[in-house]
Amino acid sequence: MDFMAFMETMGTYNIPVVAAFFIGLMTAFSPCPLTTNITAVAYISRKLDNSRHTILVGLVYTLGRMASYAGLASLIVYVGLNTQDIALFLQNYGEKILGPVLLIVGLVMLEVIQLNLGGRGDFLNKSMEKLSEKGYLGGFLLGMLFALAFCPFSAVLYFGMLIPLALKTHDGLIIPSVFALATGLPVIISSILLVNGVSKLGKMVNKAQTIEKTVRRMLATLFVAVGIYYILRLII
Amino acid sequence: MAVKTKTEQGKITLGKNQMIVVALVSLAVLAAAYMGTNQPANAEQIQTTTSTTLAKDVVVEKPAQQQDSQVKVEVYHFHATNQCWSCKTLGELAEKTVNTYFKNELDSGRLKFGHINIQLAQNAELTNKYGATGSSLMIGVYKDGKFTKEEDTKVWYKLNNEEDYLAYLKGVLDKRLKGDLS
Repeated sequence: MDFMAFMETMGTYNIPVVAAFFIGLMTAFSPCPLTTNITAVAYISRKLDNSRHTILVGLVYTLGRMASYAGLASLIVYVGLNTQDIALFLQNYGEKILGPVLLIVGLVMLEVIQLNLGGRGDFLNKSMEKLSEKGYLGGFLLGMLFALAFCPFSAVLYFGMLIPLALKTHDGLIIPSVFALATGLPVIISSILLVNGVSKLGKMVNKAQTIEKTVRRMLATLFVAVGIYYILRLII
Repeated sequence: MAVKTKTEQGKITLGKNQMIVVALVSLAVLAAAYMGTNQPANAEQIQTTTSTTLAKDVVVEKPAQQQDSQVKVEVYHFHATNQCWSCKTLGELAEKTVNTYFKNELDSGRLKFGHINIQLAQNAELTNKYGATGSSLMIGVYKDGKFTKEEDTKVWYKLNNEEDYLAYLKGVLDKRLKGDLS
């Protein structure tokens, strides 16, 4: 049995949660989510100083994806919104979101823009500050936004396969959450690998930070370029 | 709390409020999607539905009754203006399937095939009739005055294998043309 046949069998498996997981895996490796996931990995590995923290940001990013996917599915399953309206709307605007976000992430990574939540104040302010400093808030928002940036193929998998499953089982929470977990899995795995790789590399050549900096700069420049490309495509 | 924007060694520092704006953007997307929705959806909207009332919405052809054979089938490849590789292949292979195996049915009008751009206003009625949520392959069957639509998602798994794709879709269409909706 070849790979796609296997994915088809699992994606149409009669245990909905299993099917959702494999539809999610398909999504994770389709072009658009793959691009956004690579962006996320680069964003997450921006500060590779603390391994636990890097992995946590990967998890928080996946939680962000979960919030969007489960939120959308709940609106459809429980509130009764029209799937077609939401699908077409998000596909119209998905690309419009992607460009500016990639550009901003690139600029943040190049340190042209510094996200600084400075200022003293109440508890909320302080926790916000803490979250942002560690990159949790950014990771979460990135996950939410990237999940909403639907491309044609990821839209097929979500609106054409996952949502019918959620409607059939009347489950707008668990099914999409499992799906989201699978779409974020490559990021979680990559962040674990990155942490291990970099710490090993650091031991080998005492220059991990320099390498990290160069790689980060290259990626950031790529994001800026891709972001501008997406934006220009909408203008021209 | 005032927006704190200061320039520091040529760097732009974003304040907390701007961060909140970023958060609101994503909420706005959801809200706008909500506003753009004027009719409540239900489970039938995306699953296979049978509806006699929908039959009058047919844009491209007349009702099926006057035809000699009762069953008529439509195969539509819905897509957006900018197509991904998979989306294009989906349509090309579907077209190849009907042209290879169903020439007679196409000529006689029992089978209809089309590539439908969902972003063109002139296709809005057809897009809504099928409830297309984006790039998709839809099959509609007119039988005994009833219209049944379905989205075939299995074809997506066969894009890398033309032989499988053609054989699979041929099998489905053979059944539908016989009036078998299973």
